[in-house]
Amino acid sequence: MTAFLHIRTTTLASLLFACLLAASCKKLIEIPPNPPDQIPERQVFNDSADIMAAVVGIYANFKTTAGSPWFGSGAITQTTGMSSDEILSTRASDPTASQFSQNALSTDNSSLGSLWTDAYQNIYQMNACLAGIRNTTAISERLKRQLLGEISVTRAFYYFNLVNLFGGMPLVTSTDYNTSATLPRSSVDSVYLLIQSDLAYARTVLQPAYPSAGHMRPNLYTALALSSRVCLYRQQWDSAAQMAGQLISSGVYTLEQDPNNVFLEGSSEAIWQLPANGSYNQTAEGAGFIPSFSAPNYTVTDFLLNAFEPGDLRNTDWVGTAVIHNYSTNTDVTYRFPYKYKNKDVFGSTTEDYMIFRLGEQYLVLAEAQAHQNKLTDALDNLNQLRTRAGLTGSSASTQTDVLAAIMHERQTELFCEWGHRWYDLKRTGAIDNVMATEKPGLWQPDAALYPIPRQETQYNPLLKQNHGY
Amino acid sequence: MQTMHIVRVREDRKKELCEPEQFKALCNPPSYALPRRKDCLTKTLLVMRLTTFLLLAIMLQASAHTNAQTVTYTGRSVPLTTVFSAIKDQTGYLFFYRKEDLADAAPVTLQLRNTPLRTALEQALEGQPLNFAIQGNTIFITLKPTPPPTSRDGSSPPPSGIHGRVTDSLGTPLSGASIMIKGTKRGTTTDARGDFELRGVTENVTLVISYTSYATKEYKVRDYTNKIFVIMSRSNSPLDDAQVIAYGTNTRRFSVGSVSTVTSEEIEKQPVTNILLALQGRVPGLTVDLSNGMPGSSVHTQIRGQNNIVNVLGNKQANDEPLYIVDGVPFAPQNRNLSVLLTSFAGNNTFASENTGLSPLNVLNPSDIESVSVLKDADATSIYGSQGANGVIVITTKKGKPGATSLNIRVNTGPNKISRELPMLNTQQYLAMRHQAIKNDGLTTLDPTDQYTFGLFPDLLAYDTTKYTNWSRKFFGGTSNNTDAHVSLSGGSQYTTFIASAGYTKSVYNFPGDFADNRLTLHSGFHHSSQNRRLNIDFGSDFSYDRNNSSSAPSLGQALLLAPNFPDMIDPAGKLAWTYNGADLSSYQMMAYLKKPFSLQTYESNNSLHISYQVLTGLTFSIGMGYSLVTTKENGSDPLASQGPPTTFFTPNSSASFVRSDAQTINVEPQIDYRRTIGRGVLTALVGGTYKKRMSSYNEIDASGFSDDALLGSPSAATTFTIEDGAYLNKYDGVFGRLGYIYDKEFIINLTGRRDGSSNFGPGRQFGNFGSVGLGWIFSELNAFKTGLPFISYGKISGNYGTNGSEGVAPYMYQPFWKPANQYSYPLFQGTRPYQPVNLFNPNYSWASKHAINLGLDLGFAHDRVLMNITWYRNRTGNQLTSYNLPTQAGFRNVVENFNANLQDAGLELSVTTLNIKTKDFRWTSTFNISGNRNKLISFPGLSTSSYASLYQIGKSTSMITALRFAGINDTTGVFQFYTGKGDRTYRPNYQTAAQGGDMQIVGDNQPKFFGGLGNTVTYKGWSISLFFQFSKRTAKNYLAGVYGGGLPGSMSNLPAELSGMFWEQPGDKATLQRLTTGSYQAGPNGTLAQRAGSYFSSSDVVYSDDTFLRLKNLSLSYSIPAAYLKKVGMKAANIYVNAQNLLTFTNYKFGDPEMPGALYTIPVQRIIAGGVSIDF
Repeated sequence: MTAFLHIRTTTLASLLFACLLAASCKKLIEIPPNPPDQIPERQVFNDSADIMAAVVGIYANFKTTAGSPWFGSGAITQTTGMSSDEILSTRASDPTASQFSQNALSTDNSSLGSLWTDAYQNIYQMNACLAGIRNTTAISERLKRQLLGEISVTRAFYYFNLVNLFGGMPLVTSTDYNTSATLPRSSVDSVYLLIQSDLAYARTVLQPAYPSAGHMRPNLYTALALSSRVCLYRQQWDSAAQMAGQLISSGVYTLEQDPNNVFLEGSSEAIWQLPANGSYNQTAEGAGFIPSFSAPNYTVTDFLLNAFEPGDLRNTDWVGTAVIHNYSTNTDVTYRFPYKYKNKDVFGSTTEDYMIFRLGEQYLVLAEAQAHQNKLTDALDNLNQLRTRAGLTGSSASTQTDVLAAIMHERQTELFCEWGHRWYDLKRTGAIDNVMATEKPGLWQPDAALYPIPRQETQYNPLLKQNHGY
Repeated sequence: MQTMHIVRVREDRKKELCEPEQFKALCNPPSYALPRRKDCLTKTLLVMRLTTFLLLAIMLQASAHTNAQTVTYTGRSVPLTTVFSAIKDQTGYLFFYRKEDLADAAPVTLQLRNTPLRTALEQALEGQPLNFAIQGNTIFITLKPTPPPTSRDGSSPPPSGIHGRVTDSLGTPLSGASIMIKGTKRGTTTDARGDFELRGVTENVTLVISYTSYATKEYKVRDYTNKIFVIMSRSNSPLDDAQVIAYGTNTRRFSVGSVSTVTSEEIEKQPVTNILLALQGRVPGLTVDLSNGMPGSSVHTQIRGQNNIVNVLGNKQANDEPLYIVDGVPFAPQNRNLSVLLTSFAGNNTFASENTGLSPLNVLNPSDIESVSVLKDADATSIYGSQGANGVIVITTKKGKPGATSLNIRVNTGPNKISRELPMLNTQQYLAMRHQAIKNDGLTTLDPTDQYTFGLFPDLLAYDTTKYTNWSRKFFGGTSNNTDAHVSLSGGSQYTTFIASAGYTKSVYNFPGDFADNRLTLHSGFHHSSQNRRLNIDFGSDFSYDRNNSSSAPSLGQALLLAPNFPDMIDPAGKLAWTYNGADLSSYQMMAYLKKPFSLQTYESNNSLHISYQVLTGLTFSIGMGYSLVTTKENGSDPLASQGPPTTFFTPNSSASFVRSDAQTINVEPQIDYRRTIGRGVLTALVGGTYKKRMSSYNEIDASGFSDDALLGSPSAATTFTIEDGAYLNKYDGVFGRLGYIYDKEFIINLTGRRDGSSNFGPGRQFGNFGSVGLGWIFSELNAFKTGLPFISYGKISGNYGTNGSEGVAPYMYQPFWKPANQYSYPLFQGTRPYQPVNLFNPNYSWASKHAINLGLDLGFAHDRVLMNITWYRNRTGNQLTSYNLPTQAGFRNVVENFNANLQDAGLELSVTTLNIKTKDFRWTSTFNISGNRNKLISFPGLSTSSYASLYQIGKSTSMITALRFAGINDTTGVFQFYTGKGDRTYRPNYQTAAQGGDMQIVGDNQPKFFGGLGNTVTYKGWSISLFFQFSKRTAKNYLAGVYGGGLPGSMSNLPAELSGMFWEQPGDKATLQRLTTGSYQAGPNGTLAQRAGSYFSSSDVVYSDDTFLRLKNLSLSYSIPAAYLKKVGMKAANIYVNAQNLLTFTNYKFGDPEMPGALYTIPVQRIIAGGVSIDF
């Protein structure tokens, strides 16, 4: 009797207890909709201020103030500078760097890996913003178009660099990982198709006026600058000439007369310049190239030094010099290092911004396109704009071949250590095998013209076919 | 005729019984009769409670001796105690009673004249609710049993039955003891006071009384009219030792689950500061890996193999960490690294997986820990539901024991040294190596004026080539010191006990500078029970403060790679040297690293309150509440003093980072326990609920531009700041239950279940059900066994099957979020704070679900002096919850997903404990355990197109080693070659797997083949020596992985001395290692080939080798000073001891530490020797 009573009491109590808990189970684990430092995605694209913050996040992702190389700031300069013939690493036990110089990249080279990763992380944000802005009603149609145009230029710029570094790559245009994670590589042509359609759209929606102060966000001319470059690479000479011509003749930009001023904030030849005045660091170029105590981490090669004609201001203004006395051998060692950006750290005395596009290059694009169109005088005129600024006399080239060679030479000395121009130029003109075979005898192999896809990427996406030779 | 029964306390219990001061006099051997000299005892005994007498292990009814003693006494309305006092004075007889029993006694009026003692007592107690009994010259006063209530129908009351009380030898009532009438199915259970009643039972029955951890006792009832007292003795068999399990305790005897316990006895012998390190080798199925030898650094544990698909092969992810519970409070979720600054480079924060950092368990003082139970199978862990899949480690802190207040002081100190030194090349060997590399690369002359050459060869062109420094010794060769002091005060009455202790530990880093981990711990525990024993309250509190001062230097282990002729880092003026003969030293200025202080201060408080109330016999309601708070303050700085002087291009800038973090856990667990004897068995039931809330947050301030290094401790002194913060919240609730029935001590069934929900999962995915069924048969209870195989004292087969889950995922990951970008790297863009997406998301993930089978065989021989257990288990974890790898083209490296892969862990565990020799003075015990786990991927739909295609293979272990197959060195070029999938040799193999058309093949398996421990303890009189060996066998990375994963051999980077002469030098050489190369871009085609081959080499099968070791993990020697000497100085006990950890290692593993395979250039495992004393007052 008592036993039964006990059991019944227990059962009842337990049941009651369980019910109480079960009833409030869901309630007990309710948490606020978001952590205090984060916003749900749908909310971001429902508010104009949040949308602006998301869009400027794309520019922030260039990491121009990180002080270390990233895809959007310095990494391409550094890696292609070594792969081509511009700079050499003096860091003795850093195989990551010497693999670039030796054109013998290993697929697990960490600098290589971050180039790819960093680019796609920002492309994700661009795709997220493109989709979010297309579907939002929180901002005006005009602003929508403006922002879509800006992002299209940026995405085209990223893909342009990727395709020149790696060859055809997965063309990701959405944020759905179920599709994007398994995309195989697209052909080089399809990448350029996307680039050109992004740019065509941008040219229709962007205005000549910059959307914000300075030249910090792409305008119509930024779209034109990249378009002309892309056309040049695609050997569409007419379009290249037309677009570069339109840009130059707009009169918005003028060449800085002193080479020392070209990379400063508010440079008159800047078409697109991102802020680089961080509180902790400034440009990766400044931090990476300028020495602290003695030897710089990278030295300019003799190939580049020899390319400067006597009296070329760029040899003195854009290439720094550090003389180190070696007391052991009682000799002086003279180091030459890239010095376009002059602030090593936040204490730099001038205000520099990070140059993405500048007028100088557009003169060279125009000149080259004109040379191919056989408009040699026009080509030389445009070429000489830069030679004059560099303190040199006009080019004496006369035949089309000579003019083209002079332009290529000028590109080498004007655009060195800037966004991979030298490496891309050698590849797109087909000169690379000859030049490299001379400069790096016994090392060069044509396969090295394309970087390998990082090992982890081919591992995680079995559909990615590795480039030949890796 | 009344009889007296004296049950002798077993000889070996005697000492224990005697320990509390007031019992000492009682224990004069050889008899347990009370001493006659009354002055010795009078005062003490009078106030002693009845239970004290019970320690005599007497079952008593009445005394037969009513000798000639008489009493003369007159009193009117005097308190009973006064009467007793008078009787005592006249007769010399002593009284024993519980004060509270006399509470209801009425004052008495007596007139006695030469009344015989017996009669006098009868008169005094007339009408009182009290009985008396005389034994020897002691009179025991006890309460009369409560009269049974008269039944309503007015029929005569049933005949009263047997009533009695069950206590332990200290008189503490044993609640829930089972009382069975032998040969019948009738029985009952004792209540909170230990009382029981069996109605309608008359004499001449035999009761069988059993209670957890106590030897079962049979008692023949001769007289049911008086209350009987049964004193239970602790069982002599380890099978009956209580072990802590989920929400309670059980014993090995009746357990059907797999639980291993490490007790304070084993822990105290080990001079380690982290409790997890004390478990190494001692628990079958548990692997404990340390990340490096620095004080306080992370320790990772894994129970029964890898349950989760991981991102990177060979990396243990925190998603595999067991659930830690300290005194009922969930602790250190995922064993996550405490340091924010040290992890800011770790990337993937979805699953807090850190292979380095500072261990959260470092805040517990091992000296305060009573036991650690490792719960391994479904029976033990299903009750933890979605938190239990990776096993549970239950840590129980020390509690007070009743008895006189005692003080224990332990102090020890001793040296630390790295356990295995790695000799590197000296200058002469090093220069020879460099010249060989130069020769190989064809760089015959080194032009000191060439900028590139000078940059690459400062060791030859600028440094002093006659100088030699052993950098390994300089940085890690030191002998540091460990000091540990612990003071503990405990005691109390049978109702209230307490413990309070304080500990201080200081572990000094063995690299130069003032770096140490200092820990202060305060531990306390209080227990109180009401006089009727129904209400029990336990409160425990642990506080600790830890300050770990080290350096914010990037990997200091790289000091080993410094050229041996590298200049002095401190110049003659006593300043840091930054250049030497024009060479830039800044990349290698490791003394500067040591001037960059880092400190982590941890404030930890863990509190638990447990209140229980016995409502009815066998039915207890309880509630456990816990609160833990871990706060950290972190500070890393880069002072001007650690930076070079200003130059044309460089301006020094001081900076510092400040982090505050806190993590709180609130845990509430109401619970109902029920226990009763039903039929011939004992039923136990438990129902409970859990509510848990975990909140954590951190904020980080990075500041720079301090005007003075002296102000680096204060962010407000900076000119520039950025702030970063984050917060996490997790709520969890569940209901759980357990139902167990032990039939006739032979058959056991145990059911557990839980339904729980976690806010970490998205809507509709939050709740799940888990459960287990366990069965056991103690076949040694069969009569056939008892008679036929008497040497087998215990035999049990048991098995269980059940499910549980694994929920280790960060909150909110099931939705897409954006957040303001880190201010440090992403300043305002034209006044706008940039946003970044936080995660890819998948709304549908939920916990991984594990199905586990466990089968065990337990055997005891020779009265349980030899005990062994063999367990086979098989766990299958499906619905894998993981941070799924993605190619970064998806925008992120991973996404939290479940996928349908099924991973199996199956293994065998064997453990044996033996009591080899036991005599009066000599005792020798041994323990041995060995386990082996075999992990296998049994299914993975879509593996070949998934991101795991090259990591895993169906049917193979998830820790299989995929590597290139080494094909030796090409004699002519001197460069490593590898086999392609087709069997050809190549310099440039393809990293895809063979299945994908590449050259990577499965070459081995990284999981341990077996591991375990072997311990022996010998005590002789006061001497005790204990040796514990840990062993393990597996295939793991060897030193070559470290060599080729470090600097390129031949470049400006030192090498282990052993490698000297192993390199190829000229065509035709049959060398072990390829040509040295300088790393110069002018290294020539073969140098270039070699450079790349070096990195392939570090992914080849040659960098794996056998990693089998036998390590004398612990040696402990102690001497107890005989009590006779101690008495004079007022001490109860004193011990002098030496404990040593990692003293000897036997292994063929070449360099580095076999416990940290492949990590050649890190701070190695420390050898710790600590000598000390322990004194009890």
